[in-house]
Amino acid sequence: MKNKKPAKPVFLAIYTALFFVYMFAPLVIIFIFAFNKGQGYYFPLQGFTLNWFNEFFSDNMALKAIKNSLLIAVASATISTLLGTFLTLGVVKGVKRFRTGLLTMLMLPVLMPSLTIGISILVFFRTIYIPLGIPVVILAHVSISISYVFLIMMGRIEGIDLEVQEAAIDLGAGWIASLKDILFPILLPAITAGWLFSFMISWNEFIITYFLIGTEVTLPIYIFSQLRFGISPKVNVISLLITLFTLTMIALLFAVRKFFARRRRAMDSYLSS
Amino acid sequence: MSNIAKNNKNLIYPGLLWFGIFFMLPLAVIFLYSFTTDYIFSGRSIDFTFSNFLLIFQKKHYLIILWRSLKISFITTVLSILFSYPVAYFLAKKTSLDRVLIVVLMIPFWVNYLIRIFAWKLLLSENGVINQFLLFIGFIDKPLQMLYTQTAVVFGLVYTYTPMMVLPLYATILKIDSSLTEAALDLGASRTGVFFDITFKLSLTGIFAGTLLVFIPALGSFAIPAILGGTDSVMIGNMVENQFFHVGNWNFGSAFTLALGALSIAMILFYSKIFGLESIYKNKNI
Repeated sequence: MKNKKPAKPVFLAIYTALFFVYMFAPLVIIFIFAFNKGQGYYFPLQGFTLNWFNEFFSDNMALKAIKNSLLIAVASATISTLLGTFLTLGVVKGVKRFRTGLLTMLMLPVLMPSLTIGISILVFFRTIYIPLGIPVVILAHVSISISYVFLIMMGRIEGIDLEVQEAAIDLGAGWIASLKDILFPILLPAITAGWLFSFMISWNEFIITYFLIGTEVTLPIYIFSQLRFGISPKVNVISLLITLFTLTMIALLFAVRKFFARRRRAMDSYLSS
Repeated sequence: MSNIAKNNKNLIYPGLLWFGIFFMLPLAVIFLYSFTTDYIFSGRSIDFTFSNFLLIFQKKHYLIILWRSLKISFITTVLSILFSYPVAYFLAKKTSLDRVLIVVLMIPFWVNYLIRIFAWKLLLSENGVINQFLLFIGFIDKPLQMLYTQTAVVFGLVYTYTPMMVLPLYATILKIDSSLTEAALDLGASRTGVFFDITFKLSLTGIFAGTLLVFIPALGSFAIPAILGGTDSVMIGNMVENQFFHVGNWNFGSAFTLALGALSIAMILFYSKIFGLESIYKNKNI
């Protein structure tokens, strides 16, 4: 029965290539129009210009949006990584009862529609008469990012053997020292990944922010209002810049991963020699 | 020893407290709102009622929006399965570059989705690239109205959420043991038979996981219908926003929001009952 050789996946390969074109072409078209002289979005292009970049950088609202987005993303990533790391350590290495319930609950922010989350936090803060704005957005972003930190850290923490912590404590280290000097360095790669991940979640988050931001502005809110009420090639400029920034963050994530992998290999070979 | 475990266990409390106050408590508050008649802490007396939920089914307007949202999300999910299955299959079984390609595929996903929606607004508009192309090849003789329709909303949703379908599909197809399909082929099964009886059936977990990751956000989408849709494409999200920001009926808005949340929780529980929650944890990667 050798007449059935594995089919050459030519069709599948072409289809996959087309799929990648479908995924990237719209973005490329946006970038092209960031440099187009005319106002309209059609071919043929009207000539090259950097004018839209000037216009974007002299737009105070846009600059304020960038500043706010950075502030919210850094604050919420830092708080959620701190709380999330402790939470994961506790759940994986300490909690025996109610584990499934905890896991299910922590999965909610990932799987529930952002709309439900945004509305419920809006109603909550308005009910207790706390004004909306950047602090409320940070609180909300932390609540959802904790879950993502948990997702990233869980596998990593399951993988470490608590004997190292016990050994340190047997040798006279305090419990806090065992966390700081033993577990923290081991978990540093996962902590960094968790921070970058939370940063990106917050940086991109739109729906929850939309309901909680009040009269302030973040980058996604700025883009949304631009898209709703007449678009200018300024939006193309900001899209291009955000994409470049995103690529940098992804590269950073991989660089971090590679750095720690190399360090670990070096350590292993040192220990075995 | 058990002392260490106890100390470690105490680490959960700061995070749990935060999560309880700023995530679970708000859910409890909209739960309260959706079964009552007025603003809480408003000074007026509030009564228990089911009418907020009944209203969803009593007014034709709301039923239409509910039905439309379910329909659009369903079409989006089916299309994203169809589009991404061959890609996931190719990546998992037919190439050794899969790890790199998966990372590349995640790039658009990490670019803010409003930007990707913006791209479709440009492409679909009356003098946009797609109409220009169709006119150029002579397929149509006047521009098609594509923007501000339900079709445009489906386009946007499929484009936005398809990567979320590729990932779990890829992960499950990758795990299917090739010796199974080879054995079936050796025993004389047809290639189509092998695909439908073995590969497809074993990848159902991935399809269900992907369905959760596509259907739920599609059902709760707000920005995409607001930007790409017209008056005939108002979805649950837009209706709820209207209740809170313009109409001011928090009780009814909460009921609708809670119904959406409850539906998603039901889907998650259904999934975890059949496949186990762990498999979602395992399927999510960057």
